[in-house]
Amino acid sequence: MAKIMLKLPKLAVSMQEGTLREWFVESGTQVTLGQPIYALETEKTTVEVESPFEGTFTCIGEVGQTYKVGDPIAEIVQ
Amino acid sequence: MSDQAFPNALPQVTALSIYKTMIRIEACDQRIQQLLAAGALQFQYYPCGGQEAIPASIAPLLNEGDQVVTTYRGVHDIVAKGTPMAEIIGEMMGKVNGTSKGKGGAMHLSDPNAGVMVTTGIVGAGMPIANGLALAAKLKGTGRVVVVNFGEGASNIGAFNESINMAALWDLPVVFLCQNNAYAEYTSFADSTRSKSIAGRAAGYGLVGETVDGTDPDAIHSAAKVAIERARSGKGPTLLECNAYRLQGHSFGSEEDHMDQEELAEARANPPIAKFRAALIDRGDATAADLDAIEADAKAEVEDAVEQSMAADMPSEDELYIDVFANTADVPYVGTPDNKAEPDLSDREVQTITMCQAITEALDLALEKDPDVFLLGEDIADPAGGVTKATVGLSTKHGEDRVRATPISEQAIIGAAIGASLSGMKPVPEIMINDFTMVCMDQIANHAAKLRYMSGGRTSVPITIRTVTAGNIGNFAAQHSQSLEAFFTHTPGIKVVAPSTAADAKGLLLAAIADPDPVMVIEPMRCYYVPAEVPEGYYEIPLGKAAVRREGKDVTLISYGWAAVEAAAAAEALAEDGIEAEVIDLRSLVPLDLSTCLESVKKTGRCVIAHAAVEFGGFGAELAAKLSEELHGELKAPIKRIGGSYTPVPFTPSLESLHFLNADKIKNVASQIAG
Ligand SMILES: Cc1ncc(C[n+]2csc(CCOP(=O)(O)OP(=O)(O)O)c2C)c(N)n1
Repeated sequence: MAKIMLKLPKLAVSMQEGTLREWFVESGTQVTLGQPIYALETEKTTVEVESPFEGTFTCIGEVGQTYKVGDPIAEIVQ
Repeated sequence: MSDQAFPNALPQVTALSIYKTMIRIEACDQRIQQLLAAGALQFQYYPCGGQEAIPASIAPLLNEGDQVVTTYRGVHDIVAKGTPMAEIIGEMMGKVNGTSKGKGGAMHLSDPNAGVMVTTGIVGAGMPIANGLALAAKLKGTGRVVVVNFGEGASNIGAFNESINMAALWDLPVVFLCQNNAYAEYTSFADSTRSKSIAGRAAGYGLVGETVDGTDPDAIHSAAKVAIERARSGKGPTLLECNAYRLQGHSFGSEEDHMDQEELAEARANPPIAKFRAALIDRGDATAADLDAIEADAKAEVEDAVEQSMAADMPSEDELYIDVFANTADVPYVGTPDNKAEPDLSDREVQTITMCQAITEALDLALEKDPDVFLLGEDIADPAGGVTKATVGLSTKHGEDRVRATPISEQAIIGAAIGASLSGMKPVPEIMINDFTMVCMDQIANHAAKLRYMSGGRTSVPITIRTVTAGNIGNFAAQHSQSLEAFFTHTPGIKVVAPSTAADAKGLLLAAIADPDPVMVIEPMRCYYVPAEVPEGYYEIPLGKAAVRREGKDVTLISYGWAAVEAAAAAEALAEDGIEAEVIDLRSLVPLDLSTCLESVKKTGRCVIAHAAVEFGGFGAELAAKLSEELHGELKAPIKRIGGSYTPVPFTPSLESLHFLNADKIKNVASQIAG
């Protein structure tokens, strides 16, 4: 059983932080590869972050909070 | 199937194999970006979208033994050459299953098993090294071909000029593959040159140049076929330019605003993979279902690689110093150089020759002993025999293949040496004067010194760079007199040797040539033409073993290179004043014989470090700091340094003599603390 930590991604070279706007999935649910998992607002736009794996999803971040690139946001257990 | 209706089309088997490689490249490239976008991975990534057809179309033309050199934007080249997917993805994740145990990373994948010899993050730097790989192929008659990939931006770097000139001159079996993706970071092709094409430049250098559509496998394959056959049959290099528009910004997440939006949209609407897929179906080479199956297989292959890599470990702490050198004991302060004992030369015949002649003799012996040894450098062949005359007679005896005069191209000289060493040869490049090493610093410091580490020990660079310092011989002035050893001791991965006697110059040089790591030997011209006693025959003076030239109890003088001669003279003068100085000649700075220094300074409690190089920021500063740290409380006086003044080396004798140290100055400093 592998645990995969999803961190706040660096989507632009100058990006330092981003705000978690909305969860599209709840903790404890199964996600599939490519499924949108949360909305991330950056300096420039808001993007849908997609799940990079399938597995059981756990939310770590909180909606409305601003996080630094690399901060833990969610976890997937395969 | 495709012959009549599609006269230029590739045979079906080849076409499908190219398509499969393109799809495997895309699957890998896309998956990496997906992981980056989700925050499962984080590193600087340079996507290859739009350029997949280039290496995929060339791959069927290359043999297993053929070699590739590529860049940070090289995942397509690496997948196509056959590196296992898990090793690629593992390396990008920094895991031990990666090509370099995670020590090189995404920009430095190397996999000699598949012929991926170097992946460089320095624009343009792969070309000189590719020449060296090709030179080794030619000298050893392996029939190997080398393909070096670079961008159109890299074609404006000096190394490009030096490399294509040398390759053409020597008819090297190399294909210079310019992947022209229309942008170099944020700069468009049109904003970087007045050349209409990169291939057009070839004519000026006397090699063939050709430009093809880099999104069209049929065109790439047929042009590459000619180029590779030309190389393989000994007819020399080709500059092949493949135009393939970059389908995204420079790196993952970087802006695209600077790109021509219309062109970008057009290129994206018709990407090479979709275009080729349609053509294959159209030609009747495959059905949509066949191609879907290829895509599914590629995704599964990548997924398997991702899983293996996620499960793999990151390297443990003990990996940090491994692969700096072949033997970790040579890493300063980490190990104690466990060198062989000083050779017993007591029963050797002794001859009286100069340091220069001793060096010639060492080179002659090395060439005789090992067929993989060869020399290269400016003017080194007869009748010149080098400007310092250190190679006189050698090309006559060993031939001009092995004692190779080069164009004035320092980057190409060092690159050729590096590349040949990656193929198992033991090149001895000469950089005429120490000051000129700065012209090829990238090859020395970013490549020779780092390739073993960046490849996790998969490759190594056993080259011996010989260079002369012309300091303090009068009138050589600011650009021909420097002692630049501190640049190199500050560069992990390269050993630095500085002899002061003719006998040492011979034995250290032979040890350097036999050594598995890159070594820079800085020969002092001030000592070059002074006759001295030199044992006959082959012997090695181990690197990392200092010589105690004189024993004494009052003060330790530590030195190397020509300054060591001054230190010895200072010790004699001090003895007349009743001060017994111990004189240590380091002989090699990396590896460093710290224990001999510690032992001596512990005994005397006083130390002067003397070197020809500028005192400020010099190697003496490092050694003084280390000795002070280790011997704090046992010292009877602060450790003193004496080196060159913080000035460029002046021309006029009245100032030059102020700049450089001499025996008198060393004596004065020693007297201050020991008097
Ligand atoms: C010597 C050097 N200068 C600058 C850089 C920064 N840099 C990295 S990629 C790049 C653009 C290179 O463009 P090109 O050679 O066309 O290759 P591409 O990135 O398009 O594949 C630059 C300037 C570098 N890595 N090395």
